[in-house]
Amino acid sequence: MSGPSLLQAGKALMVRDLRLLWRRRGDAFQPALFALLVVVLFALALGGEPQALAKVASAVMWVAILLAGLLSLDTLFRGDAEDGSLEQWILAPVPLAWLVAVRVLGHWLTTALPLILATPLLAELLHLPHDQLPVLLASLALGTPLLSLLGAVVAALTVGMRRSGILVALLALPLYVPVLIFGAGSVARSAEGLDAVGALLYLGAGLVLTLVLAPLAAAAAIRIALH
Amino acid sequence: MNPVLLWFHQLGSPPVFDRFAARWAPWCHGIALAVMAVGLWQAFQVPADYQQGDSFRIFYIHVPSAMLSLSIFAVMAAYSAIALIWRIKLCEILAMACAPIGAAFTVITLVTGSIWGKPMWGTWWDWDPRLTTELILLFLYLGVIGLYNAIDDRRTAARAAGFLAIVGVALLPVIKYSVVWWNSLHQGQTISLFGESKMDASMALPFWLMFVGVQFWFAGSLLVRARADNLRREAGKDWVARLVAQP
Amino acid sequence: MSYLNYLIGAYAVFAVVMLWDLLAPRLQIRRELRAARLRKGRAAKRAQPVELSR
Repeated sequence: MSGPSLLQAGKALMVRDLRLLWRRRGDAFQPALFALLVVVLFALALGGEPQALAKVASAVMWVAILLAGLLSLDTLFRGDAEDGSLEQWILAPVPLAWLVAVRVLGHWLTTALPLILATPLLAELLHLPHDQLPVLLASLALGTPLLSLLGAVVAALTVGMRRSGILVALLALPLYVPVLIFGAGSVARSAEGLDAVGALLYLGAGLVLTLVLAPLAAAAAIRIALH
Repeated sequence: MNPVLLWFHQLGSPPVFDRFAARWAPWCHGIALAVMAVGLWQAFQVPADYQQGDSFRIFYIHVPSAMLSLSIFAVMAAYSAIALIWRIKLCEILAMACAPIGAAFTVITLVTGSIWGKPMWGTWWDWDPRLTTELILLFLYLGVIGLYNAIDDRRTAARAAGFLAIVGVALLPVIKYSVVWWNSLHQGQTISLFGESKMDASMALPFWLMFVGVQFWFAGSLLVRARADNLRREAGKDWVARLVAQP
Repeated sequence: MSYLNYLIGAYAVFAVVMLWDLLAPRLQIRRELRAARLRKGRAAKRAQPVELSR
């Protein structure tokens, strides 16, 4: 008897993840609220003056969303690690990397996508110039999947650990740096009147590469972490 | 025994409270709707402001909501304190029922304030003390709601969230003061909510009607939400089973 | 300048939030009572003696 196809297994996993999230749907707002709080903190620290905020708005947005994504990494594998499902993943007839990829996709849809949708609102609080908004959204659309994929590798490495909080951040942030540079940099370039397409293309290329490599790396990391 | 005291004690019994809330909540909402309808109708009778035009009428929703968003937090903290000190279950329920209502009015305050501000100041948002403190108040409400939902045991959850409400209400003046102090460092940003117009009698009437109306609304919503939480906690008990007809 | 759109927007937000506040707990009560009814039905079925036959 042949096992489930990739598509069947992927769909089953996605449906399960979404159903579990639906039961705790209040939690889905937490990353967006965290990003909002980071925006508030920056606004208060910078003095709240519209001109000053407008200059740094895109950078603050990028940092807020990056940090919110970082905090939500914990939920990526922890639930399954605790109840033993992760070991079943290793034994499953479908490739572990595929399951990881589907899990990361679901995670991105439910944590990063709400953040991107909230971006116009948060950007307004920071008085972001309106002509920068499209580039910001484009950079986030390309950058947040990258962050999720890279974060998945780190989350997989630390999945067995008890209190990995700050360690996850310390491990993931260096990996995030290129994404942040090209992402926030693209908006900064467009603000100066230069072409942002170059930076966005770099992000896109990185995304394609990471889409292939990160699930494989995360799968290897899970095998390491669970032994 | 003193009849008032007796009634008070009886109300603490879940089935008695369920009947009380089921009976009185519709009345509270009904009175609220009636009073608010009159209030809003009056709000449109008032002549348009010479500076702000018709958008001034947003005031009649914005200000009562803002006042309620603050008073509900205080009520929530009071119920929580009673619940923590005297361990009265009903007060736990009432305290937690306050949170979503307070959050709703805070959202109304923030959004209507933002909409009112756009034609007035040209911007949807400004980091001035009142707006900033109101936004932080929203976070405090969401924190109480989030904590209450995060803990499985209802009594522990209510006590923890109630404690958070008390800490919040104690820190709220500090937060307000700090934001005002911060704002004083950056002069030139003070925005007057009331503008040029002073409140004369004809303009005050709709405001007072709305003020009274939302208070009744709060009472009604409090009773309904408390009733829902009460039923949820008492699920499986006999009196709940007696409430429902045989399937 | 037309302030009407802003006015409508603000009052619409007010109406929507109040409507949510009105309906959400009532729906929850309905859910709780329905759960109680189902529980009662299950308990009644359990109480009935099951006929054993050989």
